[in-house]
Amino acid sequence: MSPEQTSLAFRENSVRALGDSALRAAMKQATDTFGTKRADAFAPVADLEALRDRASAIREDVLANLPMYVDRFVASATRAGAAVHRANDAAAAREIIRKILADRGARRIVKGKSMVSEEVELNSHLEAAGMEVVETDLGEYIIQMEGETPSHIIVPAIHKNRRQVGRLFADRLGVPYSDDPQVLTKIARKALREKFLSADAGISGANFAAADTGSLILLTNEGNGRMVTSVPKLHVAILSIEKMLPSLTDLPAFLRLLPRSATGQTITSYVSVITGTRKAGDATGAEELHIVLLDNGRTEMLAGESRDILKCIRCGACMNVCPVYRTVGGHAYGWTYPGPMGMILTTLLTGMKMSHPLVDASTLCGACVDVCPVRVPLVDLILGLRRRKVREGFADPRERRGMEAFGKVVASPTLFGLGQRLAGAFWPVVRALGGKDVAGRMPAPAKTPLRRRLP
Amino acid sequence: MSDTDRERLFLENAAIAAAGTHSVSGTGDLLAVLGRVVAMDSPVYCPGVTELEKAAAPLFPVRAADYAAAAVTVEEVFGAIAETGTIVCVSAGGRAVQAGLLPAHHVAIVRRERIFGTMDDLFAAVSSAPPTNMTLVTGPSRTADIELTLAIGVHGPEKLDVIVV
Amino acid sequence: MRVMLFGTCLVDTFFPEAGEATVRLLRRFGAEPVFPKGQTCCGQPAFNAGYEAQARAAAEHFLREFDGDDPIVTPSGSCAAMVKHHYPRLFRDDPSLLAKAKRAGERIHELTQFLVHVAKAHEAGLRGVGTVTYHASCHLTRSLGVREEPLTLLSSLNGATFIPMPDAARCCGFGGTFMAKLPEISCALADEKAASIEATGADTVTGCDSGCLMNIADAMRRRGTKIRVAHIAQLLAEGL
Repeated sequence: MSPEQTSLAFRENSVRALGDSALRAAMKQATDTFGTKRADAFAPVADLEALRDRASAIREDVLANLPMYVDRFVASATRAGAAVHRANDAAAAREIIRKILADRGARRIVKGKSMVSEEVELNSHLEAAGMEVVETDLGEYIIQMEGETPSHIIVPAIHKNRRQVGRLFADRLGVPYSDDPQVLTKIARKALREKFLSADAGISGANFAAADTGSLILLTNEGNGRMVTSVPKLHVAILSIEKMLPSLTDLPAFLRLLPRSATGQTITSYVSVITGTRKAGDATGAEELHIVLLDNGRTEMLAGESRDILKCIRCGACMNVCPVYRTVGGHAYGWTYPGPMGMILTTLLTGMKMSHPLVDASTLCGACVDVCPVRVPLVDLILGLRRRKVREGFADPRERRGMEAFGKVVASPTLFGLGQRLAGAFWPVVRALGGKDVAGRMPAPAKTPLRRRLP
Repeated sequence: MSDTDRERLFLENAAIAAAGTHSVSGTGDLLAVLGRVVAMDSPVYCPGVTELEKAAAPLFPVRAADYAAAAVTVEEVFGAIAETGTIVCVSAGGRAVQAGLLPAHHVAIVRRERIFGTMDDLFAAVSSAPPTNMTLVTGPSRTADIELTLAIGVHGPEKLDVIVV
Repeated sequence: MRVMLFGTCLVDTFFPEAGEATVRLLRRFGAEPVFPKGQTCCGQPAFNAGYEAQARAAAEHFLREFDGDDPIVTPSGSCAAMVKHHYPRLFRDDPSLLAKAKRAGERIHELTQFLVHVAKAHEAGLRGVGTVTYHASCHLTRSLGVREEPLTLLSSLNGATFIPMPDAARCCGFGGTFMAKLPEISCALADEKAASIEATGADTVTGCDSGCLMNIADAMRRRGTKIRVAHIAQLLAEGL
């Protein structure tokens, strides 16, 4: 399903979310749980700040030398037997993958979770070409069945409760209703096992790619990542170019940070390291491996003032602590990536014209900055995008006029004092004009402001 | 870190990740533990390639030719990591990583001298020539996708036992 | 010692009592506060909304009004953070103003920072009454790193009981212009904060930033809660 981007309707989406009590309960429970789990997981870690510094430095090195690392990866992966394709944009990526699959007559595809595949709207393109695409990550499986998009980058069905999932499975799979997560998981295991074993191809993303060895690294808990990439003969992997790490030996720094930041685990149940295609003496492994490296605006972003968002390793910790995200959920943001990293990445990838309300979706509280394992300067990036929004003319005209007046008033004590007196005298009018949303929530100005009380 | 400490740390961390943990000395002990751990699970897939696997195979009267049809896989794995309680499965030498993935129960045998202290130690050892497929496995498969409630046994095994020899 | 008092636009206009309380506290602890009459606003509302030119206009005016070398004290964590962290960026193109901005950043203290580290007010045996809980404002806590000072002061009040609030540092939803742009989310966050406060059973909630306190007071009003909302300056001054 490829719905339209609705970021321009962020406020309306939020208001709707605020009225959805099931969603609010699910989000509150989930984000409270994540907060505790992350804190518990990092409590015994000896020097978290040093770990973050190291990971941040590695990511900065990658961004500073990205074209070189990408070239190196292409060479190593090719040497290991993979076919590497560079896709400049979403349309190119979709078409490259469709062609690879169509040329080999692939009809049934099993898929591991990949946010980048959502970004390029891969599934609907393949389905339009007559292929069956089966999401195998349990959360993705649930929302695919429901016809929805993910609302969190780690736990796609975070907005659903067990009763909703139980009803969904009962309706669509014809199984007896149950709202026990263990039972529901077993139902999914059985249904998907059959798909894994009969699939013509597997599509996966990758959490990281090692430039020196040409390896793809996948972190999962379910085992579906491993299944998708080693059971079918054909494996197609899609990842965006900033996922590079200089060397496989850099991986442990991130394995110590990402699972703890994402779900509070010390390590995910499975870390798959895939290096090329089946070699002589291997009993299994994909016979054919195609790696699609997606740009989709990232090279351009590297040259701009918001480039540090490319350090992001997609752990989801920022959205878990964001007061806005936890209140309205992921769908309100209207596109693939929600929360703090999402509002920034979405604006950069889809453009200010399609996304500008997102840059206001923050109180600048800084909770995200506290938890980002690779020190992405999220608040500074949001401020930069707000400056761009104003510069490029997307600001609300009334706000703009108000700020221009503000600029004059704050530079003139006379005007400032006059403004205080007028606001005080005309408060009921200000309240009526400003509406209950702003003036209605503020007390009336004091009769005598501080400057007239002090000598 | 001494060898004993490394082994102890590995077993502790594997247990935290919900793996069944066992430490034996010698083939006799190994067979006894295997008998207990595999119990009634059948059919068993055992590659029978390494010395320890060759010693174990005769224990199981009903053997699956293919891991896809097995209820349990008994195999020796490449190594383990103490830092995280992880076993390391690689595809080299005619081995299939899927063998430990498809059946509901995975019994992994690892030699104590193959326990790496940290993840850095493992990657330093393999990065000059990584195998096509290497999987770091920590505990049985799991998900918390439904209401963040932990459910064990998704697509990978529901049960993982590790036996250090 | 002479200090310059930056009242802040919110305190000046809406909560002058907090400003007067700040003056009483500073005098009690040996500082003679001077209030530059021409002061206006630190420029945060414009800066946070992306209006750099207007923020710079405010900042330039601030640097003129507060020129000198005396410490600057302000009853606002977010304003102190604005001066310390963002003023240098605003004057990156003007070396002389940049130097003044950096110096201002060194000179400025949020009130509780001054009271604990300079005035040692927590050792003065201030009095208090009833039960108090504390909201830890975002910029104060995360930008300025002021975590302990307010708690040190509140726990030192003889006669008052301090009750910690769960998620004390969770955002109240004010966010400056955020409350005007996304009022529904702002109200929802304020409601959650109010519920946390109510759950402590305290009769008073305090904090170091007027914007947050104003937002919290509004939520209390909507919920019909009768808990007192007071700036920490007022609570401490009452205990003198």
